[in-house]
Formats: sequence, C-alpha cells, structure tokens
Amino acid sequence: MQDVAAAHIPSATAAVWEPRLVGFLCYWCSYAGADSAGTARLKYPPNLDIVKVMCSGRIDPELIATAFVHGADGVLVLGCHIGDCHYISGNHKTMVRMPLLRRLLADLGIEPGRFRHEWVSAAEGEKFARLVTEMTEQVRALGPLSWPALLRERGIGHGADLRPWGE
Amino acid sequence: MATNGKLKVGMYWAASCGGCDISLLEIGPRLLELISVADVAFWPCAADFKYRDVVGYADGALDICFFNGGIRNSEQEEVARLLRCKSRTLIAYGACAGGGGIPALANLTTPGQIYDAAYHTNPSIDNPQGVEPEPLYTTPLGELEIPELYPAVLRLADIVPVDYEIPGCPPQADRVWEAIQAVTGGAVPARNDAVKVGCTDKTVCDECPREKKLVKIREFRRHHQMRPEPAWCLLEQGLLCLGPATRGGCGALCLKADMPCEGCYGAPAGADDQAASMIGAVGALVEAGTEERAAVLIAGIPDPTGSFCRFSLASGVFKVAK
Amino acid sequence: MGEQTVPLADPGHDNGKPRIGVFICHCGGNISDVVDVKQVAEEIGGLPGVTIATTHMFACSDAGQALIEQKIRDLRLNRVVVAACSPSLHEATFRQTLTRAGLNPFLYEHANIREQVSWVVEDKALATQKAVRLLRAAVRRAGHLVPLTKRRIPIHPAVLVIGGGIAGLTAARHLASRGIAVTLVESTPFLGGRMPRLAGLFPTGRPARELLGPVLEEVSRNPRITIYTNAELVHSSGFIGDFRTTVRLHPRGVAPNAPVRAATAACPEEVPNEFDFELTKRKALYRPYDGCYPAVPAIDWSACTICGKCVEAGGSHGISLTEPPTEVEIRSGAIVIAIGLDLYRPQRGEYGFGEFPEVLTLAQLNRLLDPAGPTHGQLLVNGRPVRSIGFMHCVGSMQHTEVHEPAAGGKLNAYCSRVCCTACLHAETELKARDPGLHVYDFHEDIRTYGRWHEEYYTKASEQGVAFIRFNPLHPPRVERDPRGQAPLVVRTLDRLTFNEELEVPLDVLVLATGLVARDMSRLVDLFRCALGPDRFLMEVHPKLRPVELASFGLFLAGSVQGPMDTVESSAGAAAAAAKAAALVSQATIELDPFVARIDEARCSGCRVCLGACAYEAISRDDGKGVAVVNEALCTGCGTCVAACPCSAMTQLGFSDTQMKSEILALLAGEAAAAV
Repeated sequence: MQDVAAAHIPSATAAVWEPRLVGFLCYWCSYAGADSAGTARLKYPPNLDIVKVMCSGRIDPELIATAFVHGADGVLVLGCHIGDCHYISGNHKTMVRMPLLRRLLADLGIEPGRFRHEWVSAAEGEKFARLVTEMTEQVRALGPLSWPALLRERGIGHGADLRPWGE
Repeated sequence: MATNGKLKVGMYWAASCGGCDISLLEIGPRLLELISVADVAFWPCAADFKYRDVVGYADGALDICFFNGGIRNSEQEEVARLLRCKSRTLIAYGACAGGGGIPALANLTTPGQIYDAAYHTNPSIDNPQGVEPEPLYTTPLGELEIPELYPAVLRLADIVPVDYEIPGCPPQADRVWEAIQAVTGGAVPARNDAVKVGCTDKTVCDECPREKKLVKIREFRRHHQMRPEPAWCLLEQGLLCLGPATRGGCGALCLKADMPCEGCYGAPAGADDQAASMIGAVGALVEAGTEERAAVLIAGIPDPTGSFCRFSLASGVFKVAK
Repeated sequence: MGEQTVPLADPGHDNGKPRIGVFICHCGGNISDVVDVKQVAEEIGGLPGVTIATTHMFACSDAGQALIEQKIRDLRLNRVVVAACSPSLHEATFRQTLTRAGLNPFLYEHANIREQVSWVVEDKALATQKAVRLLRAAVRRAGHLVPLTKRRIPIHPAVLVIGGGIAGLTAARHLASRGIAVTLVESTPFLGGRMPRLAGLFPTGRPARELLGPVLEEVSRNPRITIYTNAELVHSSGFIGDFRTTVRLHPRGVAPNAPVRAATAACPEEVPNEFDFELTKRKALYRPYDGCYPAVPAIDWSACTICGKCVEAGGSHGISLTEPPTEVEIRSGAIVIAIGLDLYRPQRGEYGFGEFPEVLTLAQLNRLLDPAGPTHGQLLVNGRPVRSIGFMHCVGSMQHTEVHEPAAGGKLNAYCSRVCCTACLHAETELKARDPGLHVYDFHEDIRTYGRWHEEYYTKASEQGVAFIRFNPLHPPRVERDPRGQAPLVVRTLDRLTFNEELEVPLDVLVLATGLVARDMSRLVDLFRCALGPDRFLMEVHPKLRPVELASFGLFLAGSVQGPMDTVESSAGAAAAAAKAAALVSQATIELDPFVARIDEARCSGCRVCLGACAYEAISRDDGKGVAVVNEALCTGCGTCVAACPCSAMTQLGFSDTQMKSEILALLAGEAAAAV
C-alpha cells in the first residue's frame, strides 16, 4: 500500500522520468497478440499504453502526430501481416502511410527509434512483448521528447500570455 | 469610420514577400470602387504612413485592417498588437498570416542554424569577423535597436485575436473582392473566431474540372518529368497535387493551367494538418502489394515535408522541428 | 434499414452532463493480486463526470452484472466503463447488461487491465499506475460516446451454392432438408466433381459412384434445389442478406431426345479425356461415364468446330449448335463456395513424367485399376505386363526452394497435401491383393496416414511385403532409363532407413502421388473479395472458432476449396457450412455492428479518395450531389476510408477522431507525463 501511495506523488517530487509510449493496435491481430502475451504471462515494461482500433487502416497519421505533440516519447503502430488483414487490405494502406510519415518525423527532428511500425499476428505474443521491451529501452536511451516544452521554448502559444497593446 | 463617411482601411506586411499587397491591386478596376468608399489609413508598402500615426489613432479607428505575413520578429508582434488595438476588424490576409505560409518552413530549422547559414557558412558570405546582428547596438551617437528574431514563425492568430482570415498565396482576386464586400457589408464580426472568408468549406477537388478515372497511382513524378494529359486528375497521373487536402475557393486556377495544387489555401475545414491529411490519402491512392514496392513508390516523393507542409507548417499539429 | 439518426458531431451527454459509472473487476485475484483496484477506484472516482467508481470480484458474473444494472438505475448513469479482462471475452456481455438496464449498449467503454496490465506487469505499483492511466482514458472516451444502433439487414431466404461436387451437393441437400431454397451452379455440364473418377474410396473400399448415386438422386429430385450446369459466374453484387449473382448458362447443345450414339460416332473431334486424366480420348460431344447426372450428353464448345456432322447424323433432332447462352440472376441471402481443388500436374521431366511413358500419376493409375475404367481394371502400361511398380510420394507437395522450381504461378507448394500417403498405400495394398507376386516399392520422405483407420493401410502394406524406402527431401530420387535394360526405369536414391545406403531400383512403372493444389481463384476473388491463404486456397476467418466462414459477411466455405482434404472431411465441412448458412438465412433480419463510416455531405468534396480506400466497394459517388456515399450494409467498419479522407469529412461511429484523441490526451496527461 505504501509503495502505491508513494508512486502517486506528483512528478514535481518524483524525479525519475519514465518513457511514455502510445501503441495503436488493430483488434484482430496485434491487439489479440498483446492479449496472448498476457495469457502466456510474459512480462514486459508497463510504459506502452494501447489504443485499440478495428484495423490498422484506421490509424490516421494525425492521431500519431497528436500523441507526439501531447507528450508521447514514442509511438508504436502494429497491424496484421500483409495478406492477413481481417479487412483484406487495410494494412496495405498502413504499409504506405507509415514510411511516408516516418520521413516527415525525421525532418521534424524526431529520432527514428521513437516511431516503430511492425506487423504482429494474434499468435505472436512473444514478439509483442519483445517489441515493447526493446522499444522502451530504445526510447529510454533517447530521453524525453517533451514536445509541449519544445513548443513553449519556440514561443508557440505565447500570444495567450500577452497583454493587449497599450496595457 | 472617418468624418467624411468613408471607411478607414489599413494593410500591413509582416514576414511577407509583398505578393499579398500586390494582390490587393489584382481586384483591378474594382479598386476604384473600393477607394470611393474607403480611405487608406496605413499601408507601408504603398504609402508613407508611420507607426506613430497609427499609435495616434483612436482604438478601433481602422474599420478594416488587412494583415499579411507571418510573425517572425518582435517588431511584427508589436505591430500586430498595435493594429489589433486600433482596428475594428482585423483580417489575416494570405497564407502567411493565416497559416505561416512559406516563411513557416523556417520552423524546420532554428534561429541559430539560420544565422549560421546567413552570416557564416553560405558560399557567398564574406564575413571574416563573423559579425552577427544584435538586437541592441551601441554607437557613439546612441543606441540602435533592431527587432529580435523569434525562435519560430507564428501565425497572426497566435499573437492576437483575429476576426477573419482570407486564405491563399496570394488570395485570389475575385475571392478578395467578395470578402471585402462581405466584410464592408456592415455586420460586426465576432472576435477571436478567425472566420475564414473568400473560400469554401470544401476542397479544391470540388472546383477542379479534371476527371477522375479511379485508378491507383503507379508512380509519382514531378511536373518537369512529364506532360500531363489534359482533363484527367493530376494526382491520378502521379503528380503530387494537394487538391484533396486543400481548402477550396481559388477556383482551381493552377489545375486549369495543368499545374498541381500546392496547397496554398491551407488545410481543409475540419482537418488540422495538411501533411497528415495527405499522407492518409496517399496511402489509399497507391497500390503497393509489398513493402518493397511501397518503398519504391514513396521514393518518388522527394520531399514530403516540404510538399505537404509548404504553406501550413505553423498551423499544423507539429508546428516546428526539434 | 439502419434507423440511425446519429448526428455527425459527438454532442456528448444527456442533459449536457456525463454520469459515468466505473466498475473495476478483481477477476478473482487475477487482476487484484497485482493491481490495487481499491486505489484505482478511489483515484478514478475523483475524476469529473464520474458518478461512481467501485470494484467487484467477478464483474462478468450474474452478481457483477446485477450490480452494474442496479447502479445504472439507481444513480441514473448514462455511461458505463468496465475495467476487466480483454474485450474479446466480455465486451459483448457488458453491452447486453446495459441493454437490460435500459441504456444504449454502445454507451459502454471497456478497459483491458488483465491481459494487458495485471498479467504482464511485474511491479504492483507500476501496474496500478498503468491501470489508472487506462481507466482515465476510458472515462474520457466514454464521455464522447453517443448512442448507436446495430444495423438490421433483411435476409433473402435462399442460398446459392457454387460448385457441384461432393461438397456442393452435400451442402445443397442439408440446406434443402431445412426447407431452404437452394440454387446450385456447376461450371461443367455434369454434377459430381472429382469423385466419380475414384473407384474404391478409402477406407471402406466402396466405389465412389455408388456412394455418389443416392446423393445425386436426392439433389436432382428435390424441388427446393434448382440446378444450373454449364454455368459461368459473371458478376456478383449486393451484400449479406441480398446477394445478386449473375451466371451465364452455356447451352448444352444436346436435348434428351437426341440420338446420342449416332451423333457421338459422327463427331470427328477427339480431345484428351479429363475423366481418365488424359489416358484416353473423348469426343467433343460426350458423357463422362455411364450413370452421370444429367444423363444427357453435352457438347464441349472448346473442342467443337461446329462442323455439323452430329446434327446430320441425328437427322436434326435434339442437337443445336447455334443456341446462344442465356443469363440468369440469382438472389440469395448467403453464398456457399464449394469449387474444390485441382491435382498438381508434374512438370515435364519431373521424375521422368512426360518423358517416359512408364511414369504415371496416382490418379491415372486409379483409372487403370477401376473395373469400369479404360483397361477394365487391368494393370497394363505401355502394352507390357507389370512386374515391379514404384510409388513416389510428395510430388508437388512439401517443395523446397533448394530443390524445386516454382510452377507458373511463381509459388512453391511447401505444404503437405495430407491425403496422398493414404491414397498411395491404399493403391499398393490393392495391387498386392490382386497380385501378391508384384514387387511394390514405396519411396517417401515421410508417411502421414493421419486419418481415422488410415494407419491400417500402412500396416497391411508392410505385411504384404511392400518395400519402404525413405529419401532425404533435399536429395530426392532420380529417375532414369535403366542402362542395363532389366526394366524400363531405374530409380536411384539414398535410403535413410538403411543409414543412407544408395539404392538402385529397377521398375516397370513409376506412380507419382501428386499433391493437391488450389484452383485458379482469381474470378472468385474478383467477385467476392475472398482472402487467400499462403497456400492459395481460400482462407477461413479463424481455423478453430469460425472454420467455414470467409471474412466477407454471408460467404461460407465448403470442402476442399479450403485446403487439401478427403471426401469425409469435405462432406463434414459442407455440412458445417450448410448449418451456418441455414442459421443465417433462417432469420428474418441480421444485426451487424454499428461501427460504420459516415460522411458529412457538407464537407465532402467528392474527391473519391475514399472509394479507392475501400476493399469492399462500399463507397460510391452521388454524381448529382458531388459527394461520396457509404452503403452501410456493405461497410465492415475497418475505418480505412476515414483515415484516407483528406478533409476529415468522414468519421467512424464508435471510433471518431474526437473519441480517439480524447483517449490519447487522457493517456498522456497526468503525473507520469514528461517532467520538464
């Protein structure tokens, strides 16, 4: 009990940064794969929070951008293997979108290790656990991305702080 | 309103190329109509008004102020705030004031990198003492201040509440005239809404006369590499046209001249990020089959960031690069 | 259909205020042993919009569900969140709980804190933190849920069965026995498929035609079953409950009153007879065997030169060479696909096939052994008596990249065709029974007599003195002319059973046990968008949970179109498909999940990017309005078009951008966010 209480002290005193990862997983393959990791009681770091979609084709690049911009240190996109998509070809669109997004992220200075796109089937619980473990360590080594802080540093949004002219 | 019953109109250029100021002249003979009902009270590009003149105006004295260009330095911010105070209706005019425009691509770099290139490393620079601009410079005769370069290009709406926004690079003449008529029509707009005028709520595709054959894109090419077929959608032909992810209202002028849309009217209504929108769309427009083939197809887009965020980086989700 | 009046934007809550009930399951310790559920309830209880946050030992139990129902009523909850095991197990359960309590079942959000938290996080404090994060996100998302209604699609009470072999026939008779109208279409002029060519079926040894006879009788006599032969699939549209399939009916050319013997004799065209696997020839006007159904012969238009001799010979009775094809549209609520498979055709030179006339396929051998076959059951090959015969397993199956060249399709058959080992051994025991003095050799890389009683063939063959030779698949046997002239052929191989001794086996005949391959599925894929497995057979949704269903709603698989299998398995599969199809069309309507795509016409510019995104052709364009339109009956709810729409005119009910962004933001807000 005491441990739990201590863990909930606000971060102003907590000090140790932990990577925050957001994962977009398709229900039929990769989400089921994450479930099989659970059924097998595999242990992996808790840093990845999963957002479920029905198909990886639903994963709009804007959702990934939203995650980064609001504080995610890393984003993981998982879908069914090519040829196995429950909706026939949703993952084909993902397969084209993610590399294109990756180039955008690279130009924005977001290190490649922070964005991963892989295929995980419902039977690949081990692969899922391994991916999360690897990525957590990779992002830990890269440090926090802190996009909200970056925006503040670059003066985005400072207009809200300004007084109207003349005051 | 001035004592002679005419409207007082202003136009200011911030981080701008001057094209917007010129575009106001594009309304052509309707300019005569405009000046019959309006007096210019401040237009640095065209007339000799000083800042102190504006400072001397009463609050809200300017009936309409067109503000073009992004906010890149402290002077532009100060004038933006000044004009907001002195204007009844403040309009963000053009892509730069509305979305950052082309200058906002500088957000992919930092001021440090810009200074390095501009004052030290560019091939034509001859600056043996490594002089850089300084905001405050002391001379024997006194102190000189120059505006401070901000760490990023901002939109007008990032600094002050904006009443209307007319998108475009530059806004297209007929749309400008419609916007002027709408705004001078008398209704006092709600503040801080940045209501977009001179445009539609649909995308350029809605106005484009070219036909779609509903085929998948087989290869991306640039327009110097091919002569496009007339009457057929350019995007389907493999030219990177941002029409589907760009707000409409321009009449698809570029498309009618066989040039793919570059996205200068900014993101469509309801979409926050032109780059995200285009990437989502491209995923559905090509047929790759394998990851290898997808990589080949995508390699045909040499600069996704520059192409997809050309005019709207400051209004997208990321806004800057790290 | 689809009485949904849900506005596009998420208006949020009744009376403007969310009253969210959060129920956290202990799962009997599976969750609560790791996650401090009381602590979680306390933290979540303090969030805005949360009316109650409580825990229960087993939320999915009757007592747990009763608690939820009670709280919904007592506290006038308008949204419910349950944190428990994976939604794949009980999301549907809790949706029903809401329905019973009078709340729309889609005002429900599920958080997975067992498979994805308590079972995988070692540290209890971190697990508890993670559960809090996921619940915070679920609560925030719940606030953006709107009531949704499952789609109701009316079902046309008929089934289309494609394929007239044993699987199609079995499916048709089971469906008809339940009172369902069936249309059976077969592409060739005759029903029965591949079965009639088999003589003694294993394991009973009864002739296939004998078993097939009653089935054909039943199907042909059943008034509920409409049969079209010589039918070509042309077009299909529609969706579950209302498929419209057009078939082109090619004319038979021959009527029941035609003078068959004279006409057949007069026909000058001869082509290889597929019924005998090309061992014999037949005329262009033909019947495959006596007792076939329909009994009336047909004209093979690909062989016929329209010379008219048959018409002359018949005195112009009953034979027409000029009848045009007709088309018929078949309406059905479901479709059963039962087109079967093909035999692998060995490449020229593969184990000497096509080069040496003494090399046959097992299928050809079985035609020779059939008392009703081309040699009346006599084993005569190339006019010589047979004293030694070899059987080669795995021809066209279990292929390896190091050894085999892909066939025309560019793919290797790496899989096992399952039934050929037993078929081989059956033929071997049959031969030995007829002639115990015959030398029989069995060359294999493995023996897979997997089925019920199949092993008996192996035991019997061993007892009868069949010689078994096991080769290394990476170094398969070589087949050559015997240089010493002892016999036409010699097979050279290493034998693993004798520690890699090199053997030379002289043979009069070599029989290749050829594998089973998928037929050309391109037409089916075009028409029905079926998924193919890596072996190119049709792929079911889930091999255990939904073995006879295709991913497209309303389509079922029967028989060997799904993979190599024997007649027993085909019949069982067909019966299963018939049961599923019957269950579907016996309902007046069917309910589908409501997570469809929705278009805001005011925003849509008709750019048609979404049309290209949809794998189900569920989106079309209204040219009058210049906007895209979603056919909600066809939409499967994948959301691919929603991500493709470049102007955000499209949303997905239940997975809107607003809902998803609220979830993402809630996950990232909070204590453990980047400390700056």
